[in-house]
Amino acid sequence: CRISSDGKPAKFQPPPKPVIIDKQKQREEKRFLSPEFIPPRGRIDPLKLFLERKDMIQRRKVFNIPEFYVGHILAVTTADPYANNKTNRFVGICIQRGGKGLGATFVLRNVIEDQGVEICYELYSPRIQAIEVLKLEKRLDDNLMYLRDALPEYSTFDMNMKPVSHLDHEEIPVNKLQVRMKPKPWSKRWERPKYNVKGIKFELPEGKMREAQKWSQPWLEFDMMREYDTSKIEEKIWKEVSEELKK
Amino acid sequence: MMPIWTKSGKKHAVTLLKVQDCHVLRYISKEESGGKTSKLLVGGKNGSPFFKSEAAMEIFKEAGVPPKQKVTTFNVTDDAIIKPGTPLYAAHFRPGQFVDVTAKTIGKGFQGVMKRWGFKGQPASHGQTKTHRRPGAISTNKAGKVYRGKKMPGKMGNIYRTSFGLKVWRINTKHDIIYVNGSVPGHANCLVKVKDSKLPTYKDCNKNPPFPTFFADGDENLPEDLYDEEIFQFTDPSVTYA
Repeated sequence: CRISSDGKPAKFQPPPKPVIIDKQKQREEKRFLSPEFIPPRGRIDPLKLFLERKDMIQRRKVFNIPEFYVGHILAVTTADPYANNKTNRFVGICIQRGGKGLGATFVLRNVIEDQGVEICYELYSPRIQAIEVLKLEKRLDDNLMYLRDALPEYSTFDMNMKPVSHLDHEEIPVNKLQVRMKPKPWSKRWERPKYNVKGIKFELPEGKMREAQKWSQPWLEFDMMREYDTSKIEEKIWKEVSEELKK
Repeated sequence: MMPIWTKSGKKHAVTLLKVQDCHVLRYISKEESGGKTSKLLVGGKNGSPFFKSEAAMEIFKEAGVPPKQKVTTFNVTDDAIIKPGTPLYAAHFRPGQFVDVTAKTIGKGFQGVMKRWGFKGQPASHGQTKTHRRPGAISTNKAGKVYRGKKMPGKMGNIYRTSFGLKVWRINTKHDIIYVNGSVPGHANCLVKVKDSKLPTYKDCNKNPPFPTFFADGDENLPEDLYDEEIFQFTDPSVTYA
């Protein structure tokens, strides 16, 4: 046994208790509610939202729509009556998720043979046969429309890309990539604060950046009429949706 | 409004109409009304008994029904007369039927001639003095007067208009909801009158509709959702082109 510095026998120290990280619990705590379930602000009859949600859950039971965010790289196969195999496979980075309810859409962008291509798919359309997530990667923004004015290398993805494996319990990594842009003019003035773009490396002179700040509206974040707190609505809808999907 | 997909993969937009507490209020015979057919008074959505005339309240009391917000007349043939007081449900209509929907359009208030009648107005520059959205000339010299019905600024909207020939795609019997193709006049949650279509192309479209109406206490037990044959139901697997 160990001899302490005093020479007397040391007091029995019990071993430290093992810290059990329950991966199952961590996975359950991570709730993801697809943004199209959250109702928009406005006077909409809750019965209409309920019926729409029922249809959406019905579709999700038959066809698996994976959890994905803007910035993920997806491969979508749709039924196409004019294609060779009657199916059409498109790989691209998701730049925008719009629409609420059954009409929810997402836009995939890719550059094929030096031509930028964007396709807007409807999540609940019956023509979609499969949605696979190839690479899970969140970006700094919710809306990657600026990739249209970025150098084409940032939007090119291999059509036959292999899916990158991702463990269930790990958090989705955030790619803090700062994208370099083509020379101006751009389709939108991305340096202006209204777009709140964090993922661009602006190489514009200081004068232009200061001039862009003239259009900032710092009072917007304090505007109480614009607040839309969705936490309670989300919890209710999450409970309803998860119960229905488990059946 | 909601999207709906057919089995061939096409998307259509659909308006949801809810049948809320509809009852038949009164039967007016052909001689009494003075028209070509007899009429049935039907009332929709329950409302407050205040701000309603005594005569209206008498009709509701006679039928034994709570006071309704909207009362309309339907011209009916003699074999389709229903006893006053019977409730009407969404299952009165069937998927595949064609329907006309009447409602009051959204009121836009006093509007100018460009918005109300679609006039072109005048150019923005090149010397125009204070004249950009005006009607311009209103009549000729020879006429010497302005004709009746001349399109001029005025109150726009808030009048009854009908959209004809709308297809019924789906009926929800549990919540009494009719899914009707396309858009319908009026704002969201407004009161609307739904009739069988009068268009000659859809004269023979209704095959065995519930006649005179769908009775809830009858023997028929309808499923919760009635779909048209061409609709893609979400319980089916995805559409493929063989």
